[in-house]
Amino acid sequence: MDYSIKIENLSFGYNEDLVLKNVDLVFQKAGFTSIVGPNGSGKSTLLKQISGILRPSQGSLNIEGVNVERINKKDIARLMAVVPQNTALEFDYKVMDVVMMGRYPYISRFKGETPKDREIAIENMKYTNTYQFRDRSFNQLSGGERQRVILAQALTQQPKILLLDEPISHLDLQHQIEIMTLIKKLSMDQQLTVVAVLHDLNIAAAYSDYIIMMKSGEINFQGTPVEAFTIQNIRSVFNIDVDVEVSAHTNKPYIYTVTRHEIKKNCVKAHVICGGGSGSEIISNLFNSGFEVSAGVLSIGDLDWKISKDFELKVAEDIPFARISDAAYSINKKLATDADYIIVTDFYIGKANIRNIEVLLEAELENKPILILGDESIAKRDITEGAALSLYNKIKNKKSSVAVSREEMYSILNNAGVTNEC
Amino acid sequence: MNAKLKNYSILFIMLASLIIAIVAAVGLGAVRIPAREFAEILLLGNETENSTILLQIRLPRVLLSLVIGAGLAAVGAVMQGIFKNPLVDSYTLGMSSGAALGAVISIVTGVGFSFAGLSTTGVFAFIGAVTTLFFVYNLARNKNAVAVNSLLLAGVAVSYFLAAVISFLMLLNDDNIQQIVFWTMGSLSLTSWSKVAMSYMVIVPGILGLMLFARELNIFAMGDEAAQYLGIDVEKLKRILLVICSMIVGAVVSVSGTIGFLGLVAPHIIRMIAGSDNRRVIPYSALLGAILLIASDTLGRTLIQPVEIPVGVMTSIMGGPFFIFLLRKQR
Repeated sequence: MDYSIKIENLSFGYNEDLVLKNVDLVFQKAGFTSIVGPNGSGKSTLLKQISGILRPSQGSLNIEGVNVERINKKDIARLMAVVPQNTALEFDYKVMDVVMMGRYPYISRFKGETPKDREIAIENMKYTNTYQFRDRSFNQLSGGERQRVILAQALTQQPKILLLDEPISHLDLQHQIEIMTLIKKLSMDQQLTVVAVLHDLNIAAAYSDYIIMMKSGEINFQGTPVEAFTIQNIRSVFNIDVDVEVSAHTNKPYIYTVTRHEIKKNCVKAHVICGGGSGSEIISNLFNSGFEVSAGVLSIGDLDWKISKDFELKVAEDIPFARISDAAYSINKKLATDADYIIVTDFYIGKANIRNIEVLLEAELENKPILILGDESIAKRDITEGAALSLYNKIKNKKSSVAVSREEMYSILNNAGVTNEC
Repeated sequence: MNAKLKNYSILFIMLASLIIAIVAAVGLGAVRIPAREFAEILLLGNETENSTILLQIRLPRVLLSLVIGAGLAAVGAVMQGIFKNPLVDSYTLGMSSGAALGAVISIVTGVGFSFAGLSTTGVFAFIGAVTTLFFVYNLARNKNAVAVNSLLLAGVAVSYFLAAVISFLMLLNDDNIQQIVFWTMGSLSLTSWSKVAMSYMVIVPGILGLMLFARELNIFAMGDEAAQYLGIDVEKLKRILLVICSMIVGAVVSVSGTIGFLGLVAPHIIRMIAGSDNRRVIPYSALLGAILLIASDTLGRTLIQPVEIPVGVMTSIMGGPFFIFLLRKQR
């Protein structure tokens, strides 16, 4: 038995409507799993199935090798503890008393609590940094402190599994991080299986080993944070556009929400000749202003290439560090010929990419308007010992060419955009 | 241990007050019986001119007040714990009226049998209390969630309705208005040793039974779901506790009619001075309830002699404003 929780073909519904549909899941021992999904996707219901508050309509649920329906409530409480969203007590108790409630499944009715029970409670209060509150009343603590006390109570149950139902959604950022870090530490120190329902995808990504994405009562995707949190998965589950960046340090994804206003298209085609990140900002600005943008010749994998791919632009591409191939060259020429304007950015010109400016002297581009950026730095950017510079001067001296600043370039293009609406 | 010392002193003060209350209550009245004479009669078995008054009238009455007060207060403490609301007790939820109606029905119809040493009236009162409680509870319930406001409203409405039915039944069958007053306002004026014995037999074990579940009641404060996570079978435990509460209320009402607000007030005062731990709240509330009811009854029968104010009127005069105070404090 290498799993902690195993769910097979589980369905559940109130009345006729199924809230959970044919869920199959396995939770590994000592792993940290987060369940995410939009409101009403059934993630809290799934947690309630695991915790035994709700019984499945169909299917089976095994915890540590035992079918849940055969375990009594006290035995479940020794196996599994739950931290809810927010806890307020109707009648006030001292923190020590609240934590001691976690010993309930171990205390016999007539013997009462033993010194060992108190020891365990105190140990867990120290672990969660709540021991200094032991004589204070629970309801007077702040939200974050209370959540730590509830965590201490849960640990005092000495469970193998810790379930968390949006444990941080009522807390400010500092306390969110504090609680999550504590839970992560716990899962590693005490080999706890942690299952958390979380709202914040970035927090889920940062702390989880495994992600389960739910939608309409079904598991849509599962995997490591990098596998699960892709732009496509998030769009299909949450119906939102995001950008995802994977940190090179931690291999954890970071999700940005994108507020994309409706782009008003115009009929001006702009071809950007760039590379090495010199064109990224221009490509994204022009794209978001409604131009039909193309780019070339870009090295596969470089920043300009990535942006162009994200926007699904027409791109002339080639493998990096090699001299531009004839195939890529002719695609680039074709895109440039089709465009209304050509923009040449301030990229470094070496032997590999010199054909990127060579193309501008082709006969087909004789009268094409060419906007040249970075005129002042060309000498520095030429790493071909003069070959590029002489090409550059020829291009610059063409009638249709003009050396411009970025502002000038944008204003020329925007004017063209306004007069050329589709 | 400072906390322990505090607890012992609270316990000591309450026990002492209870003894003083008993002695004072027995002594006060149309005929004054000093403590020395009380001791003489009770401890030495001497016969004095006041022996009969003391043994046949005052003492049973005071002992009955004691156990009834204790029972109502313990039930109040437990029900507040179950429903997680300090405004709930057997009176505000209509259980007392239900019990009274049960008792009245048994008297009016004259159904006469007894089992296990309990009078029929007590059994009917128990059934009345349980039925009313579950009726009110279901009336207030909306898809598994019970809002306390609707619970209180339903309780008060049902209470009024039942009181009207009781009055109607009494008018049809017995034109003694005194009887109606007894059942709807509560009174201890018709006391006998057999009533005392019957009440102790039900109420004392009942309170002890409730105390067994104090730890679970503490956990109830965290909410029903959290209580389940900690290993409590919440629904089962609620049923057990409410049945015990109904037995106590049935026993109380069948000997004293409905006495209001005592069960509400006593646990409150205790929580203020001794904290919320039900392992203390239940027994201490019982003690305080006993003291308060003995005091109220004694005041009621001595304040404007020879008229006797029913004890239920006394407790409501004092408890009503307290209830309003709590209601305002809540929101």
